[in-house]
Amino acid sequence: MSIRDKIPHLPEIYVDSNINLLLKRAKENRTVDIEEYETTGGYSALRKALERFSPDDIITLVEESTLRGRGGAGFPTGKKWRFVVANPKPRYLICNADESEPGTFKDRIIIERDPHLLIEGMIISAYAIGAEKGFIYIRGEYPAGYMILENAIEEAYKKGYLGKNILGSDFSFDLYVYRGAGAYICGEETALIESLEGKRGHPRLKPPYPPQYGLFGRPTVVNNVETLSNIPIIVTYEQYFMHIGPPGYYGPKLFPVSGKVRRPGVYESTMDITLEELIDMAGGAIGTPKAVFSGALGVYHHSEFNIPMDYSPRGFGGTGTTIVLNEEDCIIDSLIVIANFFHHESCGKCTPCRIGTYEQYNIIKKFQEGTATEEDIKLLQHLGKNIPIGSICGLGYSAPNAIMDALRKFRDEFEAHIKGECPAGVCF
Amino acid sequence: MEYRFLTEELQKKIKSIQNRYLAKEQAIIPSLHLIQETYRDIPKEAVEELSHFLQVPLADIEGIVSFYDMFRFKKNAKNHIRLCRNLPCHLGGSRKLLKMLEKLTGAKAQGHSQDGKWYIELVECIGSCAIAPSFLINYDLYDGSKIKNEEDLKKILEKYD
Repeated sequence: MSIRDKIPHLPEIYVDSNINLLLKRAKENRTVDIEEYETTGGYSALRKALERFSPDDIITLVEESTLRGRGGAGFPTGKKWRFVVANPKPRYLICNADESEPGTFKDRIIIERDPHLLIEGMIISAYAIGAEKGFIYIRGEYPAGYMILENAIEEAYKKGYLGKNILGSDFSFDLYVYRGAGAYICGEETALIESLEGKRGHPRLKPPYPPQYGLFGRPTVVNNVETLSNIPIIVTYEQYFMHIGPPGYYGPKLFPVSGKVRRPGVYESTMDITLEELIDMAGGAIGTPKAVFSGALGVYHHSEFNIPMDYSPRGFGGTGTTIVLNEEDCIIDSLIVIANFFHHESCGKCTPCRIGTYEQYNIIKKFQEGTATEEDIKLLQHLGKNIPIGSICGLGYSAPNAIMDALRKFRDEFEAHIKGECPAGVCF
Repeated sequence: MEYRFLTEELQKKIKSIQNRYLAKEQAIIPSLHLIQETYRDIPKEAVEELSHFLQVPLADIEGIVSFYDMFRFKKNAKNHIRLCRNLPCHLGGSRKLLKMLEKLTGAKAQGHSQDGKWYIELVECIGSCAIAPSFLINYDLYDGSKIKNEEDLKKILEKYD
């Protein structure tokens, strides 16, 4: 059966919020249609933006909001927009909905339950940066999200929120959905652009960055789903947005929490929450928590659970992905999953990443099998230094992160495995 | 060229896709999705026809099929199971679930069952970590944490013919 015939049923994912901004309409497991969206205040931010603000005003608002990219890199959104408007038209807006970081499932909640929030955010953003065409690049593994977005965009066209002369203004904007086909690398913005152009998803050498040379060589902004969904909230609240959360890191943030917690799900909070408080929000850990994997990107020791979930140098940052491990889980056994993931998802363009991620996997496997020696720790450190240097994109930069973090913080587990012991009793 | 796989219906759909985009190459990936949804896999002849229809080099399309995990030239089974093996699902017990799936379907991981009914693929994160270990059968997503024993799994598998 084709997905065009029927929207597959949505998974029961638990959702909770203590500020009700991004997840205001997303608590229940159903898709909010355009009528319900409008009656609960939807599209009023777009109306306000078109009637009261110039595109430049909106960029200034976003700059003042301190909004940072929610896709992981945390780049200031307003700054990115300033770069793009310095370049000539036509410009393009792309929404990165290729969420595939291990343990990350926050964007799908917005897409599947409140798609118009994203669409409204995209229309306002397009108005601000002067784009007349936009694309949502959604990963192939989200067939329901794809269908839901297609339907929602059709609804928005019928009501005059998309198309020519939106709400009687002289601003026009067309929006399309584009499905990926199962490649983690396409979440990297230049690989995404290549894929959207109808090619293999190989990252480009940077600079030039997409705001100068993006889709078909035109100035392009690529923003994450959650980032764009913040825009209607910023336009609605204006300076009051700066009362939400801690200074410098204003606004709501979504945290997908999984692993050994009582209520895995997506949680919305301000960024002054600590990792420990977030785990409590998710019902607390099952057993004694030992470590948190921040997706594939970093490992936190239980003694660090008091760090704030913001973008400061000592903060959690990234996508907010929190995978909790307890005393029954083995660090090595978890790292092998992460190492295999990077080996599988490396696109193969840069040799140090293509070969290096495979070697990482083989070495971690030796630890799991009990055949590793002290020399293998040195080899891992060597790879940890050289894979990022020899790679051109974020995948290569971050491929050794989790292993390097674990080596610093859980060195005892590596050494125990060299001696043929697994402290958690998983490996041997 | 006479089209055997690109039926008139498919051609119509592909044309409407082409109208949305800026360049003809942008229609390749959406067209491959359409072909795969129709035939379960991507027949080599269909790729040749698509190359002719879109006027793009055959090598470009073949390169795309081999790059993206979701596209496949190889004949697919009737039902495609995608079981997540990434960290949250791994911690949630995807290995145990795989053993049950292998036993009940007769297919091995990354392989077909002999009757051609099932194919099990181990995939990376499918963004359903709250219901770990999660798996897809075709386009339906399931919560593996609710599967306590073989009986529970059998009930799900029985829905597919």
